[in-house]
Amino acid sequence: MWRVLSRYPRLLWRLQGVAGQALLAHKARSFFVVAAVAMGIAALTVIVASVDGARRKALEIVDFFGPDAVLVLGGDIENRPVGQRLNTLSWSDARAIARSLPGAYAVLPMRSVRSVTLRYGNKNHEVPTVVGATENYAATWNWPLSEGRDLSADDIAHGAKVALIGDAPAKALFGDASPIGRTVMVKNLPVQIVGRLSYRGFTGGGSDVSVDDRLIMPISTLTQRFNLDRHYFRGLRVRFHDPDLITVHMENLRSLLRHEHKLGPTVPDDFTIMSASEILKFLTAFTGGLVAFLGVTAGVAILVGGFVLANLMFLGVSERRVEIGLRKAVGATSGAILIQFLSEAVYLTLAGAILGVGLGVGLGESLSRLGMLELRLSPKIFVLSLAAALAIALAFGLRPARKAAGLDPIEALRGGE
Amino acid sequence: MTGQASSGESEPLIRLTDVTRSYVMGGVTNTVLAGVTLDVAAGEFAAIMGPSGSGKSTLLHILGLLDRPSSGSYRLRGRETGELSDDALSHLRNQAIGFVFQSFYLIPYATALDNVLLPGLYSDAPRAALVRRAGELLDKVGLTSQARHKPSQLSGGQQQRVALARSLINDPDLILADEPTGQLDSATSREIMELLAAINRDAGKTVIVVTHDPDTAAYARRQILVTDGRVARS
Ligand SMILES: Nc1ncnc2c1ncn2[C@@H]1O[C@H](COP(=O)(O)OP(=O)(O)O)[C@@H](O)[C@H]1O
Ligand SMILES: [Mg+2]
Repeated sequence: MWRVLSRYPRLLWRLQGVAGQALLAHKARSFFVVAAVAMGIAALTVIVASVDGARRKALEIVDFFGPDAVLVLGGDIENRPVGQRLNTLSWSDARAIARSLPGAYAVLPMRSVRSVTLRYGNKNHEVPTVVGATENYAATWNWPLSEGRDLSADDIAHGAKVALIGDAPAKALFGDASPIGRTVMVKNLPVQIVGRLSYRGFTGGGSDVSVDDRLIMPISTLTQRFNLDRHYFRGLRVRFHDPDLITVHMENLRSLLRHEHKLGPTVPDDFTIMSASEILKFLTAFTGGLVAFLGVTAGVAILVGGFVLANLMFLGVSERRVEIGLRKAVGATSGAILIQFLSEAVYLTLAGAILGVGLGVGLGESLSRLGMLELRLSPKIFVLSLAAALAIALAFGLRPARKAAGLDPIEALRGGE
Repeated sequence: MTGQASSGESEPLIRLTDVTRSYVMGGVTNTVLAGVTLDVAAGEFAAIMGPSGSGKSTLLHILGLLDRPSSGSYRLRGRETGELSDDALSHLRNQAIGFVFQSFYLIPYATALDNVLLPGLYSDAPRAALVRRAGELLDKVGLTSQARHKPSQLSGGQQQRVALARSLINDPDLILADEPTGQLDSATSREIMELLAAINRDAGKTVIVVTHDPDTAAYARRQILVTDGRVARS
C-alpha cells in the first residue's frame, strides 16, 4: 500500500475518483452509512460543545463571583431545617465581620425583592429579582457596564430613585434602544436607569434564572420604598485580601457568625457561606449527569456507525466481487483495491462527520435554548469530528477493504457467472 | 508455425514448459494441467479448444498471469514470470495483456467510455491521452454514439465490443479471450470474431481465444487442442 502511495501519486488521485463514482452508484447504502456516522458525530458535537460550555461557564462564574469573595445567605439553604428563619443576617453581623474578621476588607450587604413587574410605556417585564446593593455594584462584582454609570455613594446615601438594568429586562423593555436616562416603573415607583450591565449569559448559583434578568437599586431606596425589614439582609458579600486562604477565611467567618448568632454546639448553622468553588460543585453536579448521558450516547452512536459501515462494506465487497476481480485482472494491485475501498469508507464517514456536526450544532442550539445546556462551539469540534470520522473509517473499514484487496481475481470473476 | 522455428536468440512471446496446475481439495489432488509445453509467437492468432472441463480456462488464466503454475516455467517476452511479485504481475497484466470474458464483465455503474478507460486508470498514461484513445477505440468498435451509455442500456454484442475496446486501451501485445462468443448469437459472434481478427491482422496483436465452438475457432490461424490436461495437438 505504501509503495502504491509513494510511487503513484497519479494513481492515488485517480482512485479517489473511482471511490467517489462507486459511492454515487450505491446511493442508498452510502446514505445509511453517512446517516449512522452522522448520529455518532452529532452526539460527539453536543458533548464536546457542552463540556466546553460548562467549563467556560464555570470560569465565568468564578470570574463573576470573584475568587477572593464569599457570599453569606440567611438560612441553611442546603439542608433547609424545618421552621428555620431566613432573615438571620443583620447590620450587627455586617459590622462584626468588617471589624473583627481577619483578612476581610469589604462587606457588602444585599437585600432583594422577588418577582417585580417593570413597566415602560406599554411594555411589561417581570424580573425575578430586584437587588438592593451598595455603591460600585458593577465594579465589585467584576461586571462591566455596557452603558451608563455605576451606583454611587450619593445614590445610596440619598436613597436615589435610580437603577442599573440587566441585559434581559433592557432588551424586553427597550429593544435595541438605549435605556439610559429612561424612567421605568418598578411596581409603582418611577426609577431612572443610569447604567446597563453587560450580557453575562449564564444562570447563577444553581438556579435556572439568568443573572441577566435583574434590576439593581440602592439598598436604601429598596428598603424604604418596598417596606423591607430594616434589620436583616438577604445576603452579605465578603471579600478577602488573600484568595489562597479562602477556606481558612470561610472557617473563621463561620465561627464568627455562630458566635454572633449565639448558636450552641449542637445547633446547625442558620446561614450559608458560599464560595465560587461551591457554586461550581453545584453546577458540575447539575450538568454532569447530562454530559455523562451524552458521552455514553456518543460512544454507542459512534460504535453503531462503525458497525453499520463495516457491515454495509462487507455486503458491498461481496456484491461487487466481479468489479473487484475485473479491476485486479486489468492491473489493479491489491494496494490499489485497498486504497479504493478505504477511500470510499473515508468519504462516507467524512460526509457523516459534516452532517453530524450540522445536526449536533442544531441539536445543541435547541438544548441550550431550552436551558438544558450551556454550549460552546469551537473549531476544535470540527477537527475532533473529522478525526473521529477518519478513525471510524480506518477502524471499521480496514477489514472489509482488506477482504476486497485479498480477493483472488479468478474466484471473484467466477462469482459473476 | 512461426513460433517453433524462432527459438534460440529471439524467444517467442510466450513459452510454457511443463506447466502443471493442480488443486488440492479435501486431501484429494485434482491435476487440471498435467504438463503443458507450448510456444506462441508474437502476432499469432490462436484458438485453444477442447471439451468442457479440460482445463482451457485454467490455461488461459495462467497465460494471463491471473494464476500461477503449480510447477513448470512460463516465460513471457523472454522473462520468467514465476520470479515476479504479485504487484509486478499486476503491472504486467495492465501493460502487456488485454482480457475479454464470456460474461463481458463491465462495471455496471460506469459508462461505456469509463469502462474502456478502466485499465488506463491503473497505468501511468495521462488521462487526456487515455480519453482520446478510448474515443478512437469506441469508434473502431462502432459505439461512438453509445459512449455515455451504461452497460444495462447496451445489447450483449455491444457490451462485448466495449470489452474489446477496453482490452486495447493500454495497447498490450497480447489479447486473451475466454469464450468471447459464448453468450452471443451466431451473427453477433461473427462480428466479434471479425473484430478480433482485425485486431490481430491490422494492429499486429497476438490473440489467443479459448472456445469449444469450431465456428469461432475457425477464425484463428492456429488451433491448440487441450485434452486431459495436455496439449494434444497444436
Ligand atoms: N479453484 C479451483 N478449485 C478446484 N478445482 C478447480 C478450480 N478451478 C478449476 N477447477 C477444476 O479444473 C477443471 C478445469 O476447469 P476449467 O479450466 O474451467 O475448464 P474449461 O475452461 O476447459 O471448461 C474443472 O474440473 C474444474 O472443476
Ligand atoms: Mg472455461
